[in-house]
Amino acid sequence: MLDPKDLRRSSPSLDRRRLLKGLGVTAFGGSFAGVARAETEHHSVADAPVANAASPLDSVPYLGIHQAGIVNARPANGMVASFDVLAKDAGELETLFRLLTARIAFLTVGGPVPVLDPKLPPADSGLLGPTVRPDNLTITISLGASLFDDRPWLAPLKPKHLQRMTRFPNDALDADICHGDLTIQICANTQDTTIHALRDIIKASSSQMILKWKQEGNVPVITPGSDGRAESARNFLGFRDGSANPNSSDGAEMDRVVWVGPEDGEPAWAVGGSYQAVRIIRNFVERWDRTPFGEQERIIGRTKISGAPLDRRDGSEFDVPDYAGDPEGKATPHDAHIRLANARDAAASTNTILRRPFNYSNGVTRSGQLDQGLLFICYQADLERGFLTVQQKLNGEPLEEYIKPVGGGYFYTLPGIRDAADYVGSPLIAAVRGA
Amino acid sequence: MRISSFASASALALILSSGAFAQEASLDLVEPIADYKIYVSENVAKLVEDTTAFVAAVKAGEVDKAKELFAPTRISYEAIEPIAELFSDLDVAIDSRADDYEKAEADPEFPGFHRIEYGLWEKNSTEGLEPVADKLLADVKELEGRIASLTFPPEKVVGGAAVLMEEVAATKISGEEDRYSHTDLWDFRGNFDGARKIVELVRPLIADKEADFLKTVDANFDTVDTTLAKYKDGDGYVTYDKLTEDDRKVLAAAVNTLAEDLSTLRGKLGLD
Ligand code: HEM
Ligand SMILES: [Cu+2]
Repeated sequence: MLDPKDLRRSSPSLDRRRLLKGLGVTAFGGSFAGVARAETEHHSVADAPVANAASPLDSVPYLGIHQAGIVNARPANGMVASFDVLAKDAGELETLFRLLTARIAFLTVGGPVPVLDPKLPPADSGLLGPTVRPDNLTITISLGASLFDDRPWLAPLKPKHLQRMTRFPNDALDADICHGDLTIQICANTQDTTIHALRDIIKASSSQMILKWKQEGNVPVITPGSDGRAESARNFLGFRDGSANPNSSDGAEMDRVVWVGPEDGEPAWAVGGSYQAVRIIRNFVERWDRTPFGEQERIIGRTKISGAPLDRRDGSEFDVPDYAGDPEGKATPHDAHIRLANARDAAASTNTILRRPFNYSNGVTRSGQLDQGLLFICYQADLERGFLTVQQKLNGEPLEEYIKPVGGGYFYTLPGIRDAADYVGSPLIAAVRGA
Repeated sequence: MRISSFASASALALILSSGAFAQEASLDLVEPIADYKIYVSENVAKLVEDTTAFVAAVKAGEVDKAKELFAPTRISYEAIEPIAELFSDLDVAIDSRADDYEKAEADPEFPGFHRIEYGLWEKNSTEGLEPVADKLLADVKELEGRIASLTFPPEKVVGGAAVLMEEVAATKISGEEDRYSHTDLWDFRGNFDGARKIVELVRPLIADKEADFLKTVDANFDTVDTTLAKYKDGDGYVTYDKLTEDDRKVLAAAVNTLAEDLSTLRGKLGLD
């Protein structure tokens, strides 16, 4: 069986070789390849712990039939920024898409930043110094329902399931951090790289869109065990998060779960895209920390230390619970988070989603509590069958006492940028023009 | 080490991208700056005149009249804010907001236009405002005196166009400036007029070389004008809450872009 954690667990040297191959030919030609080689040698000799393996030279190709930033492993930092778009016609929207593509091409590949006359404001914020390095950066563009709804010339092309997020029973949505015409998911090894990319894009697009909200988050860096397996990172409830995610390196599985295909009844332009659900979910961590250990495990449905299912506590997080053998919910309660989210029967297998969350830590609330939580992001080929169905099953779960969804929205992630001549969203623009 | 090859790459970028972009500052600026000084002096004279009437209404307890005079009085201040801000003590005394004080509105230190605005709109009263009004008039007159003897620094004048847009972008587009009276659109008018005036004064100096730049800037100013025109009401503007969400976005994008573009004006004129 294919290991669901393949991507994350691939050895660092392999990753690095793949990366060097990419860099040598695409980004900087000869000179950069030389630099990169020195980097590899350094790591293979120095035996650095994998927790420190992230390199500024790591790169993810931005071209492909799907956008980057969805099936590749999460780097340590991620954010979602949501914008209002001004475009009044297809021409203006194309201009915006082309501009975003140009910024993505520069930022994810890297290179020297332009140097201007010192009497002028600099072209680049300078956060990364005179040369931008890719640092595993991915920039993923998605569109909100409002972009379509507010524009009669675009409305007929709205993806079938794209809709404005509405309140679930446990939600306390704050209008200031909900919805938007366009989201940019930015992920990279370091926070400086994500912020640099955001500032670059804001500066370049000031006449075309306005920042509405953003939420940053992190994935804790993990050191693999002696068997070379990396465990899932923990979320702010102290539990491993991601154990039961589908295998994102399995192309057929991703075609089934994540990518919209020609058979899905979506507008033709949308093929190769995906639905993105974003939820900013506050965790009441003080209260959680005052909850008995055993109860915490029963609420989630997994052991806290290892992430093993409750019916095989000495197993690992990659073991699968056997609900058929536990019809009364003695080991895993029926209302445990994971049992509600995935009953592991035939019906539930049609509701699979790819979760790609980041932990966030914002500050202190007015009541003097920590404002921490989960920047929950998931991707699926069908928003109804995916996120909406799973969330409906979770409604009323015991975990709700400890979490409060406060923001986010639903978006449609555009198909990929196919080649250097293409731009993100080109099929949509072509469809508007009736081409 | 990786440094060496990066360094050579950026040296190349330097050669490629620097060049005949900015010119040296020159005597050409003497005339625009003299004209700007006249513009500022006229505005500050108008400010003193209007503030005198406004303060008189406050002291006479004429709440309605004072409310009517509040926004038109501020317009001339907003138009010359980049110069007024050179005297930070006066800018604080005249135009600071409740958030600048620890106890906000209740803070006895909270002065100036916005302190009076708070009393007029939130309390519907001029009670206790007399000393605040006297101080405001004295500060405005002091400002007039200091401006009269000020040598206008060229980079502050030219940079002022961008400063005005930065102000709007950072703290005005949200409607937080005139939060009690919601007369923000009047302030906007003053800020945009002040910025446009500066562009007009230096236009002849860059008209040939920077035609595209001026075209973009003009287009954004025009967008602002058409948008604001929709909200005209008599000699002034309707309250800020009447602004539609769409128009707020249009204004925000125009302001952000003007701030980006006008931030290069100093350099284009060769000013450091
Ligand atoms: C702050 C909020 C949340 C927390 C703390 C949380 C935590 C967890 C944890 C610890 C697991 C077990 C490990 C794993 O398989 O990843 C899990 C699994 C899962 N969660 Fe959540 N989760 C949250 C919100 C959500 C939401 C909003 C959804 C979707 C609507 C969701 C869907 C799932 C699914 C589908 C699984 C895998 C179940 C399985 O296949 O066994 N979670 N979650
Ligand atoms: Cu002001």
